Amino acid sequence: MIVEQVPVERFVSLLSEQGLRVKLGPFNVQIRTKLLQLASQLYPLYANYELVEDEIAEFHVQVLPKHSVRRPFASFVRFLIDGQSPFPSFPSDQALAVLEWGINLAVAVRTNHLLLFHSAVVERNDGAMLLPAWPGSGKTTLCTALVHRGYRLFSDEFGLMDPQLGDFLPVPRLMPLKNQSIGVIRNYLPEAVLGDEIFNTQKGTVAHVRPPKESIQRAGETAKAKWIVFPKWVANAPLKLEPLPQSEAFLLLASNSFNYGMLGETSFKAVTQLVRTCRCYKLVYSDFDRVIAALNELTDDT
Amino acid sequence: MTRNLPDHHRLLLNALNNPASVVEYKIPDWELLLRLVRRVKLLGFLAAELERRDLLDKIPVRAANQLRSGLIRAKKLQQLAHWELNRIASALKDTPVPMIVLKGAAYALAKLPSAEGRYFVDLDIMVPKESLDQVEALLLKKGWRHRDISAYDERYYRAWSHEIPALIHRERETEIDIHHTIAPVTSRVKIDTCHLFDDAMTPSHTNYKILCPVDMVLHCAVNLFQNNELADDLRDLLDLHGSLAVFGNEDPGFWRKLIERANQLCLGKPLFYGIQFSRLVFQTPVPGNVENELNEKPSIFSRSIMHFLVPPALFPLHPDKPSKYARLARFLLYLRSHWIRMPLHLLLPHLAYKCYLMVVPGKTVAKELGR
Repeated sequence: MIVEQVPVERFVSLLSEQGLRVKLGPFNVQIRTKLLQLASQLYPLYANYELVEDEIAEFHVQVLPKHSVRRPFASFVRFLIDGQSPFPSFPSDQALAVLEWGINLAVAVRTNHLLLFHSAVVERNDGAMLLPAWPGSGKTTLCTALVHRGYRLFSDEFGLMDPQLGDFLPVPRLMPLKNQSIGVIRNYLPEAVLGDEIFNTQKGTVAHVRPPKESIQRAGETAKAKWIVFPKWVANAPLKLEPLPQSEAFLLLASNSFNYGMLGETSFKAVTQLVRTCRCYKLVYSDFDRVIAALNELTDDT
Repeated sequence: MTRNLPDHHRLLLNALNNPASVVEYKIPDWELLLRLVRRVKLLGFLAAELERRDLLDKIPVRAANQLRSGLIRAKKLQQLAHWELNRIASALKDTPVPMIVLKGAAYALAKLPSAEGRYFVDLDIMVPKESLDQVEALLLKKGWRHRDISAYDERYYRAWSHEIPALIHRERETEIDIHHTIAPVTSRVKIDTCHLFDDAMTPSHTNYKILCPVDMVLHCAVNLFQNNELADDLRDLLDLHGSLAVFGNEDPGFWRKLIERANQLCLGKPLFYGIQFSRLVFQTPVPGNVENELNEKPSIFSRSIMHFLVPPALFPLHPDKPSKYARLARFLLYLRSHWIRMPLHLLLPHLAYKCYLMVVPGKTVAKELGR
């Protein structure tokens, strides 16, 4: 059963009482909140997620209203994981961003059986394409465009790699567009489902894109990486897709990983194998049509 | 003990005492167990126990993944702690100051069973009080620095504590706590640390000094029943259980030496509680009633109160339905820990300051003023 098959009243009562248990790729998350505004934002955005039955939920998170003695009339929320708060409270209109950010943090901090790259990952023609990048290089925006143009979403944030098998695991989560990207995507992809704009977050204005339904339905299907593309959006720049030496790709990947150091030798071997078996590129782009055409050409050529 | 235990405590204790039994656990049991072991910092320990028995493939794969993740993290933290120790030793190599490794890293050096899979968040060492300034100055010169702390906390450490404010290396960021004794200087317990340094030993495979077995046990007991607030401290009791079991088994004279040392250092009370609760919770094989030979024992009245308060504090609260009684027990033990740590004329202003901080967090104030 998926979320949209649950009546909204039931959805709200699950969230406020025993917890909503949803499958986010390889992880099951139990979410609890009594905040109606957050519940109403989540209902359409989480519509396609499968409800978890008879399985362990790895993460138990909660979003609670917080009352401040110093500012009694302002309204804040707190994020809790297993009853503990990993970061300070935020204004309550940011609850959705805080929830998504908190779940990402939980995944990043607690997952070491997989190698975690800070990377968007999409799939086409049975191969995964990694788009690793530093924050601000437009990886979420590019990822959003690709997954509405025939690519399957693995993640806009986490490249989850099984270091033994070499497979990448999809974890299709909401994609948080920031600032100007929101308008850009609304223009380019009128069909994309976006959540409310959330103002004044740490990263400015944020709006979450709902992952395509097919990407969520097929979240159990892993893939081997075939391409590693380091993207950078530069205003008005002509498209440039240049091969990257393996050694450089190695360093960029290792330094864009959440737990490369934690896994030690395992991650060294996994990344070595990855750059040896993938075609590695550096990408500069400004125009969606051109970049999608170029990446289509790349992923057709197998 | 297990008869009166709440279900979730029994679930946890059973997994710790008899790891092989978890293969029988159902899905909801696993989900709760993972949350509980995390809370008491024993995820890595349980993972190590299951890995040693080749059981990680015989449990639900989601649980195994979380446990493996925890074990990988624990091993990395241990590696970092050992490297930090190596760096400290190197920084201090030209000084004749004796340095003793304490707590987690010492348990690992002593190869105690509870050290495997243990999370090392910081590194604890002890140097003689008269060398403290020299050691601190040397480390500050060689790349370590103090964390930003308030003037109040700085004074708290310097005047009243058994350690100085933590040092962290500017690149590696591992925290070092430098102790000069094993109980706060303001507590009613006064320890002659010369004995600890005189009897320290060097495990055969290392160059580092650790406390001798009886002192290691006493330090663990003091830490638990004198320095800590006991909330979620089940891991420390497990350390105590592990060290009592191993040392008692290795050396037939251990128990007599332990009692004599506790009497010599006037640490009878914490050891009494340590033995009692270790036996109660983990069925530690302690011969007869050795604790009755201690010169200083808690009164019957204190014992019976502690008997009711300690287990609900040591064990984690149920994550979804925390009991009010357990919360009260934790609050009372919090007060107790301060009461025995400081005399009243220091304690009351300290608690008042802490209450003030709860309402007006110091750092936030500083930040807003700075804007």
